[in-house]
Order: sequence, then structure tokens, then C-alpha cells
Amino acid sequence: MEDQIVLSSRVRLARNYEDLPFDLSQHLDEADACINRTMNALALAGVQERYQLLRMCDLTENQRQALVDDHRISCDLLRAPQTAAVLLDDEHDVSIMMNEEDHLRIQAVHPGMDLLSAAASCFRVDDALSRQVAFAYDKQLGYLTSCPTNTGTGMRASLMIHLPMLTHYKQMGSVGQIVAKVGLTIRGVYGEGAEALGHVYMVSNQVTLGRTEQEIISTVTAVGHQLCDMERALRQKAMEERRAQTEDTIYRGWGVMRWAHLLPLNEFFKVWSAVRMGAAMELLPVPVKALDELLDQVQDANLRAMTERSLQGDALSEARAQVVRRSLRRAVHKEGD
Amino acid sequence: MLCEECKTNEACYTVSVMAGDEMTTRHLCAECMAKMNANFAGGNIRNLLSSILSAITGTETPAPQEEDSGVVCPRCQTTQSQFTRTGRLGCPACYEAFREQLQPMLLQIHGRVQHAGRQPLTTEDAQRTRSRQEALTRQMEQAVALEDFETAARLRDQLRALAGQKEDA
Repeated sequence: MEDQIVLSSRVRLARNYEDLPFDLSQHLDEADACINRTMNALALAGVQERYQLLRMCDLTENQRQALVDDHRISCDLLRAPQTAAVLLDDEHDVSIMMNEEDHLRIQAVHPGMDLLSAAASCFRVDDALSRQVAFAYDKQLGYLTSCPTNTGTGMRASLMIHLPMLTHYKQMGSVGQIVAKVGLTIRGVYGEGAEALGHVYMVSNQVTLGRTEQEIISTVTAVGHQLCDMERALRQKAMEERRAQTEDTIYRGWGVMRWAHLLPLNEFFKVWSAVRMGAAMELLPVPVKALDELLDQVQDANLRAMTERSLQGDALSEARAQVVRRSLRRAVHKEGD
Repeated sequence: MLCEECKTNEACYTVSVMAGDEMTTRHLCAECMAKMNANFAGGNIRNLLSSILSAITGTETPAPQEEDSGVVCPRCQTTQSQFTRTGRLGCPACYEAFREQLQPMLLQIHGRVQHAGRQPLTTEDAQRTRSRQEALTRQMEQAVALEDFETAARLRDQLRALAGQKEDA
């Protein structure tokens, strides 16, 4: 049951229009043309009603950050807000980012370990568009992208994965070497540098040229399985060799999440990680799905959006604690039914 | 020893870079290490430290006064030195203009230089496949109408094989 360790699967395709320069941040007319062309293509394909267009220049900084925290857009999209935009299909969890590093970045996120479904969602959009427009493509080099590191399939397949015991037992260095051998990379999702707050990592392919999309998905999936096996083995080891300490961390974390009234973000990450592990090991009466949703909801921008106030400091910590308490109360009662 | 990137601070980190089967090592100070981590977080080599970029591409980064090949993209006027400096190309036509220079870099990054994945539906091959699919579908419907189910089944299998090919392409 990899979903106990893998939070979500993401596939992203990079595409560019044949006739436009890659970087449109200084070319407002062409940037607009890119957006209009994409929307017209979706209309011709009969799927335009699924999408909501959001131009970054029409959003507040907080609204933009909330989209990043929800994994609907990348941070890079905010580098040139005057030209950047995104088309969101909430029903299918698909985003089409426009005027980021490439003209189009089609992205789909699915919960758990399911790269195939995420890829299928992306390919549907890709096919719908490529029937109507001319993408930059070369028989030898594949889809042409702004940076040669993305050329070929233009595909990045990633797994968001929770590895508390691999981190605790200081195995992430060798994990990095293992994944590098098959052309993948792993990095912490939250925090600066090597922090990996919440012990949440993203493992993704680095190689995009010379392999089929299916091969890339298979490789990332296989590595995902391997990491899950390694993590599970260490969780078992922790329960065998230091049961009391492990359970203490889990149940203390549970206590804080259930009852604290002030929850700063760094502390949230610590207790969330312990509680998610506890839930995955069926020691706690809460589904991991509820905890994964919480992870997005408690980020600063989402709290501000939810309360419609520009919260800071203690007020943020208080709002976070409230969201966490409410969410866990609901989740625990559902489990009890 | 001195940091290989800024050549000013004392190096206290060792970074190993795997390029294909080769492992190269670079020694960095805390500042440059932090910069590298920030760049890697973006997942691309744009703005990569010159010493790491040279480890990946297997070439020494050219000294500022070194001549480039003089190739310029006819569409967007991007020069080779601009591309080497930023790690980004100017427009799709750059790939043709710099095709020769790109080969070793693509080989280092991806290990191969021949695309094996999907293609846009408007390319010739895809159009040919689509016409063949339409012809087979018409024949299959005809066979069904004439109650020649053996032929219809054979045509259905051919259609499936074609669809399978398209998925792999």
C-alpha cells in the first residue's frame, strides 16, 4: 500500500509554440497571443468550459502564493507576473501554466502512487492542443524547450513521498546516490537547502530525452516502490529497537495536533510527520488522506485566504492550530462511524 | 583549499556530480553551496555555478575572452556565448542553428540524443497513422455489415496494434 508513504504523483509536460521566442516576459503582445492561442485551441477541442483562466497580474501576492502552496502552479510562474497565467481544470486536477520557462506547462496531480493516471490526464490535453496548433518539435530532439535539460519528451514525472525513518537513520545521502544511478533526483519539498521539513521529498526524473514516456514513468514508479520498501523496513526496525521512543514521538505529536492552540509552521511540520507515520502504521485513528490535505491548508497563504485576513506571527499560529484541530476532530469522528 | 567557484573563501563542502557514468568532484564554500542548492531546487541547469556546469558538460567553461564558433540563430539572433552563459536557448530555431554544439551537451545530460517518445498529432507520421486508422475502421464496419466477422476481428486487431504503436511513439 504505497499510498501510505507516497502523498501524490505529478506529471508535467513542457510544450512551446513553433513560431515564438521562448522567453516572452518582455513581449506582452506575444505573451497574450500565447494565452489566446491556447484558449482557442481548447475551445476548438470542445473542452474550454472546464478551464478557469487566471492571469498572475490580476491576483494578489497572497492569492498567487496560495496557488503555489496548493501545487497548482510552480514558483517559477511568479517570476514574470505581468505575462504569466494559468488555466485550471479543478475537476481533473489539471493546470496549464503559460509563459513560465516554456510557453506551456501542462500539469496533472493525482493522490497516491498513480503516475499513469496523471500522465493520461496530461496526454489528453496535449493531444487536444496538438491537433489545433503547431508545437516546436524536431524528429531527433523531440519537443523543443527553453532549456535543453527538458528537451525530448518534455516530461517530468514526480512522486511526493514521506520518508521520516530514512531521514532519521541518515540514509538520505545514499538514497540520493541510488536514484542518481537511474537518472533521477530527490530533494526536500519544504524548507531551505537540505532541510526537508516534514520529511517530505520529491523524487523525479532528470533525463527527458531518449526514453519513452512509459519508460520514464516505469523508472520513477520502480524507484518509488523501492523507497517505500526501504522506509517500511526502517519503520519496523524503529518499532523493534526503540519502540517506546518512536511511539512517544507519534503520540506526543498527536496530542499537539489535537489540542494545541498555537502551532507555528516549523512545529507543525515536526508533529505532522510523526502523526502521518503513526496514521500510516495504523496507530492513530486518522486517514493519511486527511493529513495530506491539511499539509496544503495550513500553509501561510492558504490560511490568509481562508480567513480573509492578512495574518502574521501568533495570529497565523492560532489560525493554523484551529484548522488542524477542526480537521482532526472531523476525521476522527468519521473513522469512529 | 579554496572554493573552486568563487576562488575566495575556504572550501568546506565536497559536491560529487554524476554525468553519465563519470563522477566529478567540486569543492565549494558555504556561500556557493547555498547558491547551488537554490539553483538545483529549480530543477534545471540555468544559472548553474560555472564550475558545476563544466563538470556536467565535461568542458572547461570558456574564459571570457575566448571566441565562440560565431554561430548565431537566424531568427532570434542568440549567440553561442549567450546560450552558454544563461543555459537557455532563445527560440525553437536555435536548436537547428546550434545543433552541432548541442550534441555533446545533450549526451552528457541525457545519455542519448535521439527522441523516442510521443510526437505531436500534426506531424506526418501521426497523420499517416490516423488515415490508416480511418481506412481500417471503414473496412471493419463494412465487414460487420456483411456479417464477415472473421475479417472484422482481424481488422480490429490491426487497429489495436496501430493504437498500441501510437501510445509508444
